[in-house]
Amino acid sequence: MPKSIPVDPTTTRQPGRLRGVDIPLHAYDVPLASELAARGATALIEAYRHMLILRAFESGIASLKTRGSYGDLTYAYKGPAHLSIGQEAAAVGAAMALHPSDHIYGSHRSHSEFLAKGLAAIGATGDNGLISIMEGHGALLRAVEAHLPGDDLRARAENFLALGFLAEIFMRTTGFNGGMGGSMHAFFPPFGAYPNNAIVGASAGIATGAALWMKREAREAIAVSMVGDGATGCGPVWEAMNFAGQGQFRSLWDAKGGLPVLFFFTNNFYAMGGQTSGETMAWDRLARIGAGLNAEAFHAETVDGTNPLAVAGAVTRQRAHLLAGRGPALLDVECYRSTGHSTTDVNAYRDKAELAAWAELDPLVTFPAALVEAGVLAPEAPGAMKAVVEARMQAVFRAAADPEISPPVDVAGDPTLIGRKMFSHRTTPPEALAPAPLVAPERTRRLRQIGKKSRAGRDEGGATLSPLKAITLRDGLFEAMLHHMLRDPRLMIYGEECRDWGGAFGVTGGLAELFPHDRVFNAPISEAAIVATAIGAAIEGARPVVELMYADFIGRAGDEIFNQMAKWQAMSDGALSLPMVLRCSVGSKYGAQHSQDWTALTAHMPGLKVVYPATPYDAKGLMSEAITLDDPVVFFESQRLYDRVELFEAEVPAEAYRIEFGAPALRRAGSDVTILTIGPSLYPALEAADTLAADGVEAEVIDARTLVPFDYAPVIASLEKTGRLLVVSEACERGSFAMTLAGNLTRFAFGHLKAPPRVLGSPNWIVPGADMEESYFPQVGDILDAVRIDLMGAPDHRRAGVRNWDDQALARAGL
Amino acid sequence: MAHVEVKLPELGNEVTEAQLDLWHKAVGDAVDEGEEIATITTPKVSMEIEAPASGTVIELRVEEDEIAPVGAVLAVIETS
Repeated sequence: MPKSIPVDPTTTRQPGRLRGVDIPLHAYDVPLASELAARGATALIEAYRHMLILRAFESGIASLKTRGSYGDLTYAYKGPAHLSIGQEAAAVGAAMALHPSDHIYGSHRSHSEFLAKGLAAIGATGDNGLISIMEGHGALLRAVEAHLPGDDLRARAENFLALGFLAEIFMRTTGFNGGMGGSMHAFFPPFGAYPNNAIVGASAGIATGAALWMKREAREAIAVSMVGDGATGCGPVWEAMNFAGQGQFRSLWDAKGGLPVLFFFTNNFYAMGGQTSGETMAWDRLARIGAGLNAEAFHAETVDGTNPLAVAGAVTRQRAHLLAGRGPALLDVECYRSTGHSTTDVNAYRDKAELAAWAELDPLVTFPAALVEAGVLAPEAPGAMKAVVEARMQAVFRAAADPEISPPVDVAGDPTLIGRKMFSHRTTPPEALAPAPLVAPERTRRLRQIGKKSRAGRDEGGATLSPLKAITLRDGLFEAMLHHMLRDPRLMIYGEECRDWGGAFGVTGGLAELFPHDRVFNAPISEAAIVATAIGAAIEGARPVVELMYADFIGRAGDEIFNQMAKWQAMSDGALSLPMVLRCSVGSKYGAQHSQDWTALTAHMPGLKVVYPATPYDAKGLMSEAITLDDPVVFFESQRLYDRVELFEAEVPAEAYRIEFGAPALRRAGSDVTILTIGPSLYPALEAADTLAADGVEAEVIDARTLVPFDYAPVIASLEKTGRLLVVSEACERGSFAMTLAGNLTRFAFGHLKAPPRVLGSPNWIVPGADMEESYFPQVGDILDAVRIDLMGAPDHRRAGVRNWDDQALARAGL
Repeated sequence: MAHVEVKLPELGNEVTEAQLDLWHKAVGDAVDEGEEIATITTPKVSMEIEAPASGTVIELRVEEDEIAPVGAVLAVIETS
């Protein structure tokens, strides 16, 4: 593949100066008369009415939290309340400029943004569209029809929006997310309101991924990251902004143009109690960060977030930039949260003079006053409108609190109800054909080379073939990915070097010859953004297969994997599916930060399927299954196994096949001891089994293959025969998945056991350098010792391995 | 006139051998220095071997699909 962008020293070494572009601050100067002429009186009055709804909604929650009542409703709301009172103009202004097809991704403080987007979408959607959307939530619609019918379809739709949202905040079954999301996670895709997020800044990466897929699909739409000023202190937000601004979208992709994502920072000057400008951030004005991102400064502007029309104008300008391919864009929308971070916040960090100064700028005061002054509203109209809205919201609150109208989630009656929402276990075939590859696959070097290889791992005499002569685990992974890339247009592969380099370990080598940049691309060294964007793209319909070069880098994407990838299917009550595969290669020989098996971290987290194949046949079949499933999968690959050829199946079929997750594989039959292995531990276990057989001890070796899900039945059946269990894994023993397996099997098969099960993992210290690795990862000798001494009861056996230590003494020492 | 050997280069950490995937030149062909003369494959990557000198290929010592150790002489070029 020819290099596309030369690094020419004569250019890079030219003296000169970098100059930034000017960033406008509060540049809005459109007279209200002009806005009135351009937008019409109705739009301006609607903007005020929408702000009233937002204010009443938030005030109602504030009242419940602080007084336990709202109007004539008494209700003890136990959940969070990060309210946006004072910020309504920012939310309504943005929504005025967005289209129903644009998607917002919010924060913990996004009630107003959600409602504003929904209200605007209701205004912009036809009757049939609204009916169809509401019928999608039949139980909620019936509750609205019975108790909050409204005067017309629009009013009914608004009540549907408010009740669906509030019932969700109250975690009721009729909530938009079935009560699984709540205040900080609620969303409703039909109105373009995508997940709010309780993790500060998390939506930046997810919205960027949404924009990535919108660009791929050439949609006439934008994604909006709606997070606060405090989020500019979060690394993943910077990763997201850099990812969004990558030069390749304009230089290397066939459809040239930046990502259509707007980073809309609702800047209320505080991140909880810390003051952003002047105290906790380096920037003085938030918009300044645009200057550090690209030559256009992301078209950054600081906008008056107390005026919905100033915000609407700015969002309209940015949207035009984005749809013209000039993205990304950034807005610093200054507004003021007039109540606390949450209802337990006593405002110790703000003084009364400041609160009073901003109270004068309260959009619920200034905007109706301006409308009255311009003659758009009669002087008594704002008060009358407010009374109507408040009465309506009180009715919504009563309906949301009433268990007859908004039934609570019955976890007592159905104890595994929530558990069943973690995975869909579904597959959704592609609706369209994938675009033809750039060249016929069989003409590429990789395919020619694979084509010459033996599909079997042994020759006719039974000798193991060289990895140059037989299909390897690396080839199996490649073939599975290639198969689906050729057939499924939703697939998108990216990672830090997966294009020309073919992945640091050559797994994706050859794909760059076959697919353009919008299907296979190099990502920046931004693990958080790699995972977050895959989540966003998956939410929007893609099936990303993304790569972390080492499993050790999971930490860099911790929130994205553990809180986002793992949870959105359940938190959405199944409305979202996250068909993504996160490939993590497990290293070796590179010491403490590049050689760790972190399967236990991901298996611990509810909502992730976790796979760790040890053979080429399994790697291919499990990868195909991972890609096909609608659920999120973390796919571990051992670097030590990439060159392994197939030793168990007759051959690795050339055609695609899928291996269902959950079934461990019997690798060697035996009657005296069961050795259950995770990942590469299979091979030393098999060697140990051969040695044991020479002593007359027959070991049964079972390869776990997948950790989540896992079917214990075959292992229990094995223990019925053997009564002895050794679980071997390369993870540190403490807290490992091997411990989980051993613990559960002790319970499930207790009656069959002749000895306490034993876990053999790595010791609870750092992975040492290459020359010392054999002292660390379980070796054949260590397995022999565990079987002979711990399971077969031969304490005077001469040790073959190095683990001659007292586990209890180590534990006392923190090891 | 001199004989220049074309060797299988060091291929990095732990790679000890490679397969000769494809010869781009036959005995008797003229080559320019830097011209791709063969494609080799390791388990991880495929790469091109470039002619170290201009001249004529006078000998190919490894057949296609044959595996050769790092440092092995793959071909000999007679410089002009």
